[in-house]
Amino acid sequence: MTAFLARRMLQAIAVVILVTLIVFTLLELAPGPDRAAVVGTAAHSQFLVQYLSWLGQVLHGNLGVVSAGGESVAALLATSLPRTLILVGFSTLIALAVAIPAGIFQAARPSSVTGHGLRVLTYVFYSMPAFVLGSVLILFLGVGARWFGAEGPQYAGLGQVITDWRDLTLPVLTLALGTIAIFARYMRSAAADSLDEEYVEAARARGADERRVLLRHVLRNSLVPVVTLLGLSIPQILGGALVVESLFNFPGVGFQIWQAAQNHNVPVILGFTLVFGVGAAIGSLLADIAYALLDPRVRYARA
Amino acid sequence: MADLLTITDLHTEIRLSGATVRAVNGISLSLAEGECLGLVGESGCGKTMTARSILRLLPPGGMITSGAIELDGTDLVQLPEELMQQIRGSDIGTIFQDPSTALNPTMTVGTQIAESVVVHKGADKQAALARAIDVLRLVRMPEPERVVGQYPHELSGGMRQRSLIAAAIACEPRLLIADEPTTALDVTIQREILELLDELRRDLGMAVILVTHDLGVIGGRTDKVAVMYGGRIVEYAATRSVFATPRHPYTEALFDALPELAVKGSRALYSIPGRPPDMRTESAGCSFAARCRYAQDWCSAHAPELDGDHPGHSYACFFPVSSVFGGGQAAAAIPVSAWLSGHDPSPRRSPAADGNGSSSGPLLRVTGLVKDYPVTAGLLRRKVAAVSAVADVSFELAAGETLGLVGESGCGKTTVARLLVGLEQADAGSIDFAGTDLTQLSTRQRRAQATGIQLMFQDAFASLDPMMRVRSILREPLLIQKAGRRRSHRRQVNRILDEVGLPADAADRFAREFSGGQRQRLALARALIQRPALIVADEPVSALDVSVQAQILNLMRKLQRQYGLSYLFISHDLSVIRYMADSIGVMYLGKLVEVGPAEAICAAPGHPYTRGLIDAVPVVTADPEAAQFGGGLSGEPPAATDPPSGCRFHPRCPLAQEICARQEPQLQPHSAAGQFVACHFPLEEAVSSPPPAGAADLPAAPSLS
Repeated sequence: MTAFLARRMLQAIAVVILVTLIVFTLLELAPGPDRAAVVGTAAHSQFLVQYLSWLGQVLHGNLGVVSAGGESVAALLATSLPRTLILVGFSTLIALAVAIPAGIFQAARPSSVTGHGLRVLTYVFYSMPAFVLGSVLILFLGVGARWFGAEGPQYAGLGQVITDWRDLTLPVLTLALGTIAIFARYMRSAAADSLDEEYVEAARARGADERRVLLRHVLRNSLVPVVTLLGLSIPQILGGALVVESLFNFPGVGFQIWQAAQNHNVPVILGFTLVFGVGAAIGSLLADIAYALLDPRVRYARA
Repeated sequence: MADLLTITDLHTEIRLSGATVRAVNGISLSLAEGECLGLVGESGCGKTMTARSILRLLPPGGMITSGAIELDGTDLVQLPEELMQQIRGSDIGTIFQDPSTALNPTMTVGTQIAESVVVHKGADKQAALARAIDVLRLVRMPEPERVVGQYPHELSGGMRQRSLIAAAIACEPRLLIADEPTTALDVTIQREILELLDELRRDLGMAVILVTHDLGVIGGRTDKVAVMYGGRIVEYAATRSVFATPRHPYTEALFDALPELAVKGSRALYSIPGRPPDMRTESAGCSFAARCRYAQDWCSAHAPELDGDHPGHSYACFFPVSSVFGGGQAAAAIPVSAWLSGHDPSPRRSPAADGNGSSSGPLLRVTGLVKDYPVTAGLLRRKVAAVSAVADVSFELAAGETLGLVGESGCGKTTVARLLVGLEQADAGSIDFAGTDLTQLSTRQRRAQATGIQLMFQDAFASLDPMMRVRSILREPLLIQKAGRRRSHRRQVNRILDEVGLPADAADRFAREFSGGQRQRLALARALIQRPALIVADEPVSALDVSVQAQILNLMRKLQRQYGLSYLFISHDLSVIRYMADSIGVMYLGKLVEVGPAEAICAAPGHPYTRGLIDAVPVVTADPEAAQFGGGLSGEPPAATDPPSGCRFHPRCPLAQEICARQEPQLQPHSAAGQFVACHFPLEEAVSSPPPAGAADLPAAPSLS
């Protein structure tokens, strides 16, 4: 297990280094002033020297400045990243909390009314783009019913953002509904596969009731593919956050990238791309670890 | 004894979209406490559905439509599901066929064994695990304290099946249902598991229903037998009388299809023509009539009742056998019917007499073949060990002959097959085929030159592309080799289909539309289409029913005669090997421990391991004494990552001496018949010769026990 973890860790580090290299190469292609804003004094030396010097700066938290003499990219990241993490974290937790039981239910009772209903719903949310879903929610629950705010929390303090549930609900819900749809579909097929296995039959033959079969035998086995999906879908979730944050005018990472893209602000885009890349690598690392924890065969085979 | 279980006129249907399968069609049987019933028949005959009906665990769409299943006076059919759950696992224990899929891979073995104790006895986790350890000890699991905390993948196949048995008996059920409990296991482990079941039945006073397709498993271990066909019981009697005088032609045919009973492999096995009936439609007459060799017009118009002319032996047939063929004879002595004599009267041909085999030497000569698979560990995946899959194996095979390679799982026989056809590269040694050393060829040369060796896979269905029509599957080898014109391919495909006994319209169908036996015919056709000199057949019949197995074996022998084919026939089943092979090679942990003429090896094995394998083959007899005969092998082969020193077999060998652990025995000439044995203390032909000191448990011949 230790060797397995160490190897996965090394692989993740290699991926991150590769990401920095790609980002830096993109930077090389950027127009002069933008590059100078990021690379700084090393702008005239060799590629490798430039890269290492830039990497050194990145490691010290220096990602360049947003605009000449203005706020640093790192500072912008420090204020926007926690907001995105709040948004993504809440919506992912909600998505898992809903999708796992919903998927198992659909697998256990595929032809029940609720099962069919859930399937239709997941199809609807699955095929509906986040900006449409968000707009619909704003229209009915925000502007129409006035239950929730139509705009994300605008406070500067994180504590205030978290407690502002009235404004936070719609962005979280928009992101969560799309994610639920993806996870529930995977969960359903994984649980259906697991229910077909002979060990489920064997558990029933030992007198296990449906509840025990689902919770003890099916749940853990069908979580394996979902956990992998979760790790791999972190970039997609962040991408979804980009749309949702723009839609709800919520100043998180996605919102800032969107703004930067519109203003051709290369340092911000690259700095944030780097963070996304590292996030994806960490996500996949966490998925591998969870995979190994869930399935003893993985631990055994790769130890 | 009062009857524990009484089934009366049970009907079970499986409703699919568009059709209803009458899986169980009116069966009645009873079972007393402590009694053992064998439920026999081909796949699809309804025996598993009968077992599932008792448990009320039917597949989706399945339901009991009428009849009663009384356990101790309670009708299980009428019981609400909650009460049924209380019976499953506590009153009825179940063992499944495949221990590798019937255990949850993400749960420890102990938790799964303890499950029924937790569910039924309300035990807490500690008490339940303590019980699990007790039960593991009962099923003679080594180191039960350690095993409870292990996951299924950490156990060998035999140990997994022991765990499943432990889980089934944890609450001391009064009825144990064992559905093909040994089919997925090696023949050596099969014996141990069956003996364990016998012992548990006696000690715990359980009644047992043994569901199997294998008459050898039933004989001598069951009190009575129910033979099922087409969802009905066609013969029902004490095991002794069914084996002595089978009355139903189907039962007789099942016996005749057994390779164990084929006399010295000199005649074709009887195979039941056709396929099991389509259970979606109700036939007016006897459902076996279409395949029955004695059927009259009357049979297809009238359905026979399950009835007996004397008490205790009932059968559903208008023209019962044994009365016609001089009843009272042992099954092994059932006369070869007139039907057979015209079918394949020619004795096994010898290649020399054939005039076909050139005198220039053998077709295939394998010398010093070695294959290791590296085992890596640690951060940098350093090679820390090697699985020694094939270690210095040498043998020869003449044109037109069959070499049978036999051994337990993991002995390296499949690796030999893969090396021969070029799916793996040998680490050392040479493969001389028709004068060329295949190991010296590049992949490209080999692909061009080695069409003379073709492979038949164990799992025919998995080896046939599900998206390709049969015509494309069969034509593919020709296209790859750019052999002949496309126009001629069509003709070749049609011809090969005819040769393997498939209709011409099979070419336009997909593999999934064929039965197991037909798929194996397709696999044979694909191997044959390039007209190879040698076919390497890796367990070609191990997934088939006996009757279908007989068809495939007969077909393979017919084609061998026709084309002078050689076979390297790999099987774990010695009775099949004996029927097919001219010579036999016995493998153990990557080593060839004995090789020689088939007859000589079967009659007087020289290696203790060969002796053990022969003893492990179930004897088709109703005699409990013969079936219980000890000997055989105990335990399972150790891991090939760290093969034992000296003779690799010495830790399991009853004759092992100190030298066996120290010095590796080489293959030495053993008998005048041409046997070679790698053993320091080879068995003499005469069993009475004094065994070496300390070898008191030398297995004796069955006749002497």
